[in-house]
Amino acid sequence: MDANPIVLDETADDVVVVVVEGEHDIYTAPTLRERLDEALSRGGGIVVDLTAATFVDSSVLGALLDARRRAIEAKQGYVVCVGETVEPGVQRILDITGLVPVLPVLRGRDEAIEAARSPNGAGT
Amino acid sequence: MIVTEPAPEVLLTMPARPEGVGVVRQALAGMADALDFDASVLADMKMAVTEACTNVVVHAYEEDAGVLEVEMLADEAGLTIVVRDHGSGIQPRPARSEPPALGLGLPLIAALSDSFELRGSAGQGTEVRMTFSYARGDDPADSVRIDGRWDPDAAG
Repeated sequence: MDANPIVLDETADDVVVVVVEGEHDIYTAPTLRERLDEALSRGGGIVVDLTAATFVDSSVLGALLDARRRAIEAKQGYVVCVGETVEPGVQRILDITGLVPVLPVLRGRDEAIEAARSPNGAGT
Repeated sequence: MIVTEPAPEVLLTMPARPEGVGVVRQALAGMADALDFDASVLADMKMAVTEACTNVVVHAYEEDAGVLEVEMLADEAGLTIVVRDHGSGIQPRPARSEPPALGLGLPLIAALSDSFELRGSAGQGTEVRMTFSYARGDDPADSVRIDGRWDPDAAG
């Protein structure tokens, strides 16, 4: 598990960043769901930072979409960021599924945090 | 690429559990490296094989007693990966896991591989066979776009 950590960074005001590193699939998706639940329970904006993720599968996308739906319902901002140089194991599945505008997906963490400050920022 | 050595062949057999899927990816990465596959093709292979193995883990068996088999066969054309279970076959029944699946597995495999075949019947298990060419002309995903054909908001 240590090679593929998922941790919360709460250093930004009003926005919790869920930092996802390494490879993630059906084995770690339950942990990701737990962390996303924690982040949502804070009541502010949520950023999921996949910059250091090297691989995500459809189980991960399912967790990200569930959290997005709940964030929208609760009027919390929700943004995914992937960094400037995106791993093929992350970029490809986002491209093919057409989820970049849906989640939405931005590049840098700072711009994602800024975007997640607006309630209902996701999908608009 | 010309394969002059005897074609590499790998057969992995393991319990159909979530922790095994990453092990299959590791083995696949080693195989693809030995065969000089491009990093972008390896990324597609990892994704397709992960989805196929996840289907076995989630759908194949009622109890946690079944096996996941993965076979990797290299020939002149490319690398063929076969993901097999001995479960109850493809049936419209609920997934074992709590969160609903997106139903993206097979469409992703079809989009990412250069050729793809699904075999199975009730009680006989299921076999997903996918081939990745050494040299790619067009991106296989260009002809099988998934976006626009499913609604992510309907998944939850």
